[in-house]
Amino acid sequence: MNKKINRHPVGFKKSFNSVSRSVATTMLFLFVSILSYAQEATISGTVTNMNTGEPLLGVNVILKGTSKGVSTDLDGNYSIQQIAPGAVLSFSFLGFESKDVSVGSQISIDVALSPVTNELDELVIVGYGKKKKRNLTGSISSVGSEEIEKTNQQDAVSILQGRAAGVQVTSNSGAPGGAMTIRVRGNSSLNSGNDPLYVVDGVPIESNSLSSLNGSENFGLNPLADINPGDIESIEVLKDAASTAIYGSRAANGVVMITTKRGKEGKAQINLNVFTGVSEITRKLSVLNASQYRAVILDSYRNMDNPVEPIFAVLDSLSPKNNGDVDWQEELLRVAPQYKIDLSVRGGSENVKYSWSSSFLNQDGVILNNNYKRVTSRLNVDFNATDKLKFGQSISYTNAINNRINAGGSGNLSVVRELLIRPPTYAMYLPDGSLNGYQFGKRNPVGLAELATHLNKTNRIIGNEYAEYQFTDALKLRSNVNLDFVAMKEDEFIPSSLDYRPGYNTGAVRSLTNLTWGNETYLTFDKQLNEVHNLSGLLGFSFQNWKYEQTGLDGMLFPSDNIRTLNGAGTISGQEVNISTEHSMLSYFGRMSYDYKGKYLAEVNLRADGSSRFGADNRFGYFPSASVGWRFSDEGFLQDNTVINDAKLRFSAGQTGNEAIGNYTSQGEFAVGVNYLDYSGAAPTVMPNAGLTWETTTQYDIGLDLSLWNNRVNLTTDYYVKLTEDLLYNVPIPRTTGFSFITQNIGSIENKGIEFTLTTRNLVGDFKWDTNFNISSNSNRVKDLPDELLTNGYIQNGKYHILREGLPIGTFYGYKFNGVYSRDEDNVNQITNGSQGTVFKGGDPIWEDVNGDNIIDADDRQIIGDATPDFFGGITNNLSYKNFSLGVFFQFSYGNDIYSEINHQRNSVVRYNNLSTDALNRWREQGDVTDFPRPLRDDPLESDSRIQSRWVEDGSYIKLKNVNLSYSFPEAIIGRIGLSKLDAYVTGINLITWTKYTGFDPDVNSYSGLRAGVDEGSYPQSRTIILGLNFGF
Amino acid sequence: MEKLQKLIVAIILLSTLSCSQDILDKEPLSSFSAQGFYKTTSDAQAGVYGIYESLQSNYRINFAYWGEGRADAVETNHSGDPLLLKQNTLNKTMRSAQWTSLYQTISRANYAIKYVPEVSQSEFGFRLIGEARALRALSYFYAVRIWGDVPLITEPYESVEQELFVERTDKELVLDQIVEDLKYAAENCNENFGGERDRVLITQGGANALLTQVYMWRKDYQNASITADLVLDNSLYSLVSMADWSKIFTTGFSNESIFEVGYNDVQTNALRVLYALGSDSDYFPSEKFKNSFEDNDLRQTKIYDTTAAEPRKIWKYFGEGFNDESSDPSSNNIVLIRLADIILLKAEALYELGQTDEALDLVNIIRTRAGLPNLDEASAIAAYGDVQSAILHERSIELSYEGHRWFDLVRTGKAIQVMQPINGLSDEANLVWPLHEDALNRNPNLDQNSFYQ
Repeated sequence: MNKKINRHPVGFKKSFNSVSRSVATTMLFLFVSILSYAQEATISGTVTNMNTGEPLLGVNVILKGTSKGVSTDLDGNYSIQQIAPGAVLSFSFLGFESKDVSVGSQISIDVALSPVTNELDELVIVGYGKKKKRNLTGSISSVGSEEIEKTNQQDAVSILQGRAAGVQVTSNSGAPGGAMTIRVRGNSSLNSGNDPLYVVDGVPIESNSLSSLNGSENFGLNPLADINPGDIESIEVLKDAASTAIYGSRAANGVVMITTKRGKEGKAQINLNVFTGVSEITRKLSVLNASQYRAVILDSYRNMDNPVEPIFAVLDSLSPKNNGDVDWQEELLRVAPQYKIDLSVRGGSENVKYSWSSSFLNQDGVILNNNYKRVTSRLNVDFNATDKLKFGQSISYTNAINNRINAGGSGNLSVVRELLIRPPTYAMYLPDGSLNGYQFGKRNPVGLAELATHLNKTNRIIGNEYAEYQFTDALKLRSNVNLDFVAMKEDEFIPSSLDYRPGYNTGAVRSLTNLTWGNETYLTFDKQLNEVHNLSGLLGFSFQNWKYEQTGLDGMLFPSDNIRTLNGAGTISGQEVNISTEHSMLSYFGRMSYDYKGKYLAEVNLRADGSSRFGADNRFGYFPSASVGWRFSDEGFLQDNTVINDAKLRFSAGQTGNEAIGNYTSQGEFAVGVNYLDYSGAAPTVMPNAGLTWETTTQYDIGLDLSLWNNRVNLTTDYYVKLTEDLLYNVPIPRTTGFSFITQNIGSIENKGIEFTLTTRNLVGDFKWDTNFNISSNSNRVKDLPDELLTNGYIQNGKYHILREGLPIGTFYGYKFNGVYSRDEDNVNQITNGSQGTVFKGGDPIWEDVNGDNIIDADDRQIIGDATPDFFGGITNNLSYKNFSLGVFFQFSYGNDIYSEINHQRNSVVRYNNLSTDALNRWREQGDVTDFPRPLRDDPLESDSRIQSRWVEDGSYIKLKNVNLSYSFPEAIIGRIGLSKLDAYVTGINLITWTKYTGFDPDVNSYSGLRAGVDEGSYPQSRTIILGLNFGF
Repeated sequence: MEKLQKLIVAIILLSTLSCSQDILDKEPLSSFSAQGFYKTTSDAQAGVYGIYESLQSNYRINFAYWGEGRADAVETNHSGDPLLLKQNTLNKTMRSAQWTSLYQTISRANYAIKYVPEVSQSEFGFRLIGEARALRALSYFYAVRIWGDVPLITEPYESVEQELFVERTDKELVLDQIVEDLKYAAENCNENFGGERDRVLITQGGANALLTQVYMWRKDYQNASITADLVLDNSLYSLVSMADWSKIFTTGFSNESIFEVGYNDVQTNALRVLYALGSDSDYFPSEKFKNSFEDNDLRQTKIYDTTAAEPRKIWKYFGEGFNDESSDPSSNNIVLIRLADIILLKAEALYELGQTDEALDLVNIIRTRAGLPNLDEASAIAAYGDVQSAILHERSIELSYEGHRWFDLVRTGKAIQVMQPINGLSDEANLVWPLHEDALNRNPNLDQNSFYQ
C-alpha cells in the first residue's frame, strides 16, 4: 500500500508528459494546414454554444483582415462566399470567446464558441443577499462547487484549508468527523470563541461541538461534518468589517456562508456519484524494540545517585506479561476503506424549482475499530404562488454514527499516546489468551480501541422556510423562520479488562438536544435612477434563541463488561446529570448601498444586537461599518489601455462584536450537585460581574481588485488591521477570593495582515490550464493587558504558552535546551538545579542560564517558539484537455513552531515509556557527545518535566493535499446507454508532505482554543486514494 | 392583492412590536445566579454542605504532605512534593504550597455566614452559621500553621469593586478570628445529630476539640485544658478497644472520632497512593520511626508491614496484611480529630500547667490500650528524657501518619532539633512553607516568606 501511494506522483508526471506531446503534435498539424492551398469557395456551417450545444443567433463571421462578413441566423447557420483556402474566418459574439479558424480544403465549418467566464460577473453571497463580485466593496473569499467536488473531502471546513486567503485551518484530529480549528484573520479573542459564525442558506447554525464525552481529548467533533459537501454550491468567507458587520455581535471572527444547491428551470437532472477509497497513516514513528527498551530502563536506574532495585516486573523477560516484543503501531494502524454514494435530482418549471439529494458515507479510520457513517438528505424547493409571492424551503437531515476512538489527550486512555509509549515488552496477550491489560500506568491500546465504547450518534435537522413578497420591482420583503436542531446521544464504556482493578469498569451516557431557532424579516430595496445612480437598501430585524438540554449518568462497577447500559451499573456516580441552558438575542439591522455608474461605490451597514448574556445595563451593542470603492479602470485615463480590464480600489472600516461567553456569566453562578457524601450541596462557582459587555473588534481593510489581459489574470489583495478591545477574559484573581478568575472586559489584541489571491487562465482552448494561488500572512500580537495581571510580565496560558504584551498569542515559554554536558567538567560554572540543588554533570541537559546566576530556576525561562505561521496558503492548478481534467492542489504553512508533547512522551523514561530510536544515541559515559541526555529514574533534575525548547520543532510544511484526475466519457458513447454524463475519477488526498517535523503530521493542533501548535498525540492524519464514477441521467 | 399587502404589513408590525426586550432576560435553568441563591432554608443547608464538599479536595492528599511530609516518621523515594518536603528543599512551585482549596472553603463559608442569617434567624440558622464558622476556622488554622501570616478574608466576593488584592494579616490576628469563630461554633452547633453525621459534620464537640488544638498551638494551656475537658466529658466520644483500633481508619465513624472528612466510592482521596500502593507508595516508615516503638506495642503491626525487612506499606488506613498494587483512589474517611489526640493534648496542657501526675494519668490511658506499662514521672524521664518528650513520643505512635507530627514538632519548638540531623533544617524562618508562585503572580500585594525570598 505504502509503495503504491508513493509511486503516484511519478504516474502524474508521465501523463503530463504525454499531454504536452500531443499539444505539440496538434500545433504542427495546424501549421501544415495553413500552408496548404486550394481554390476560392463558399463556406457554410453552424455556430453553437460549446456548453449547451444550442445554436447561436447573430454571431459575426468575418474574413479576417477585411470588413467582409455575415451573421448567423436563428438556427446558427451562416454562409459566406468567395473564401480562399488559407484565409482565416473570425467568429465573435458578445459574451463568448472569439475564435479564429483557418480555411483549408473543406467547405463546411461548424464552430462551437465557449461562453466567456468572467469572474467579475459571478454572484457572491453576502449577508442577507447576493452581490456581483464586480461591485463588492468588502473582502470576501469564495470557493465554488466545482472546486469542492474535486476535493472529495467530507466536511466544509477542511475544504477551506489552503483555498481561501486569510483563512487558516488546522486539524485537531485526523479521525473521520474529527474537529478542525478555523481562524479568519487570526485570533482576536482570549477567552471567548475564536471560531467564525457559520450561516447555511441564511440560517446561523450551531458550530460549537456539542459532544461532551470526548474522552481525554481537548476538543469535540466537527459540527460542520453534518453538512454533505456534495450539496454545497459555494462557500463564502466574509472577512472585513464591511462584509461582516451585518452579523454584528457574532461576526468578529468572520462569517462563513455556506450556500447549498437549488433547482434550476429545466428538465430533471439526475446525478449519481459513487466512490470508494482507502486511507492509510502518512507515516509511522520510530520506537525501540524490547531489548533496546530494557537497556534504557536499566540505564535510568544505574544513573541514579543512590541506585535502587529496578521494579522487577517491568524488566522481567520471563514473566508472561513482560516477555513481549510488540510494535503497537503495527497492531493498531490499518489500511482503512471508505465509500460514498451521492444521489441528486434537480430541476423545475417556471413556478416550481426543486433540488433533492441524499448521500451515504461509510468511512473507516486508520485506527482499529474507528468508523464513521453518515446519511444526509436535503430538499430545497422554491415556488411562485403568484407573480409577487414566492415561498420556499431548505431542509436537511443528517444522521451520523461515529464509533470514536479516544485518540488524543494526555491520559493513559489515549490510544495514540499508548500506541507510542506502551513498552514493547508488555505482551499483547497472556498465555490463557486473555488481553494483557493495565500495567504500571500503561493501558493496552489495542484493548482501548477494540473493547472500549466511545460512540456518538447525532441527528440533526437544519431548516429554513421563507416567504418573499415583491411589492414593486424595487421593493421586496422576505421573512424566514429557521431552526437548527441537534439530538445527540453518547455512550462511553471502559471495561474492567483494561483496568488494574478487578471488576472495575466505568460507563457514561449523555443525551442532549440543542435547538437554535429564529426569525429574520427584512425589506430590500433596489433601484436605478437616471441609469447612472444605483441605490439599494436593506432593513430588518431578527430574533434568535438557543436552548441546550442535556441529561446524563456516570456509572461504575458494572457486574459485567457485557452489559454496558447504565441500568447495569453497580454504582451511579453521576454529577451534572441534568443541565439546561438558554440564551437569546434580538437584533435590528440595515444596509444602504450606492454606486454611480458602477464607478464610485459606497455602502454603510448597521446592526444593533441585544443579548441575554450581558448585564442588564449593557444589553445592546451597535455595530456599524462603511465602505467605499473606486473602479478607476472606468476613468478616462485608463480608457485606452488594453492591459487592464477592470481595476477597483476598496476601503472599509467598521466594528463587530463577540458575545461568546457563558450564558449566565454576568450573573454569577451557584452550582448545584456539589455534594458532600449523600448530602446535597451547592457552591458559588462563577463570580458575578454585572458590567460585562461585548468584545469589540474594529477593522480597517484596504483592497485592490485587478483584472488584466482579457480577464485572464485576476488579482485580489487586501491589507487589514484588526483591533479587538474589551476582551472578555477570565482574568486570574487571587485564589483567596475563592475563585480562580473573573470574566472581565480587559485589554486588546491586534491582528494585521496581508492577503493575496491570484487567479490566472494560463492556457485557453482545447488545452486549458488555470492556476489559483493564494497566500496570507497574519501577524498577531497582544497589544494591551492590564498591569495587575502581569506580576511576571505575562499571563501563563495553559502549560506551554504565555500571553505577553507585544507577543503573539501562540508564544511558547520555557527553558532553552542547549544540548548535553559531555563530561562533568564541562559544567564550568558549576550550574545547579535550583538554589540549593544538585550540580549538573556529564549527561545532563545544558539549560541556558538566562540571568547568569549559575542557578537554573523559573527565572531562566524564555520564549522558545511561536505557533503562528509567517505565511500560509495554497496553489491549485487545474488542467484539462478534451475529456481529461486534472487538478493538483498544494497547501502550505511556513514559519510556525510545534510544541511536540508527544515527542516528549516518546523520549521520557520517567514513566517507563517506550522511547523513540533517538534514545539509542543517549549519553552513556563521560566524553559522549550527543544531544540525548542520560536517562534518569525519578527525574530529580527536572530534565523531563520542564517545558523546554528540546520539544519545539519547525512546523512548516508543504502538502500535496489533493490531486484529482477525471475523464468524461464522450457523449457519443454514453448516449447509447442512456446517460447524459459519465465521469470517472481518481482522487488522492494528503498524498505527500514535505516537512522537518518529526511527529506524525505537522497539521496538528491538540487544543481547540488559544493553545495553538501543541501536539499531544492527536489522531494522526491519513493519506487517501479514492476511485469514483459520476453518472448523469 | 392589496388586501394581501396590508396583511403582510400588519404581520410585520405586530411581530416587531411583540419582540419586547423581556426575551433577553434569561435566568439560569440548572443552577442559581449569585443573586438567586440563599432564598430558602434548604438553600442554606445546601450552601453549608457545599462548604464540607470543599474539604474533600483540600485534605485528600495534603493532610499528609502538610502534617507528615516534613517530619521524621516518613521516608520516600518519590520526586515532587514527597522528596522536596523530606529533603527540606521546598520551592514555590510545589503542590503543597498551594492554598487554593483552603480559601475555597473559606469563600463558601463566607457566603454562608453572610447569607444564612437572611434566610433563617432560628436555631437552625445559627447552627449552620456555627458549622460554617468552624470550617472557616479549620481552614485558617491550617493556613497560619503552613504559611504564617495569610490574607484574612471574612466577606464573600460578589463584585469586582471589592478589594481583590488583599495583603497578609498578622497570624496572631488570624488566630484571634479563628478562636472567635470556634467559640461561636462551640455554642451554636448541634450537640449531636445522631448517627454517622456526628463524625462527618461539625458538632459542639468538634468545635471544642478544634479549639483545643488552636489553644495548644497558641500555648494557651489554661483554655486548652478547659475545652479539652468539654470534649472528654462529651458522651459522644469514647476510646475504642485495641481490637477495633484499626477500624477508626479503615471503616471510619468510630466512637473515638470527633471530626473526619467523609469520602465514598465516588468522592475519593489519595490514601492508597500516599501510604499503601504496593511496592511504590509515596511514603513508607522511616528507620527512626520503626525503631521508636517500645517492645510489645500492640499498635505496631497495625501501623505498618512489620513482616518485611524493608517495609513499603503503611497499613494503618487499610488494615493489617493489606497488599495490592493498584493506585486507585481510596474511599476511607480521613480522620482529622479524634479523642486520643485531645486526651494527649490535655495531658500536655496539664504538664505545662505543672500537673505532671494528672498528665501522665491521661497518657497511661492511651498506653494501657496499646498494651504498654504505665509511666510515672521517673520512668518517663528515664525513657524519654522528660515528660513532655514522653507525651510527644506517645503522640508520634498513637497519631502516626494522621497529619499531626510536623505541627507537634513546630508547636513544641522541637522541629529543628529533630529534623536537623535528618535533612539539615536549621532556620526558624524555614518552618513555614513558601507561598506558591501562582499566589504571588495573582496578587502583587503578597510578599514571599523571608526564607524563600
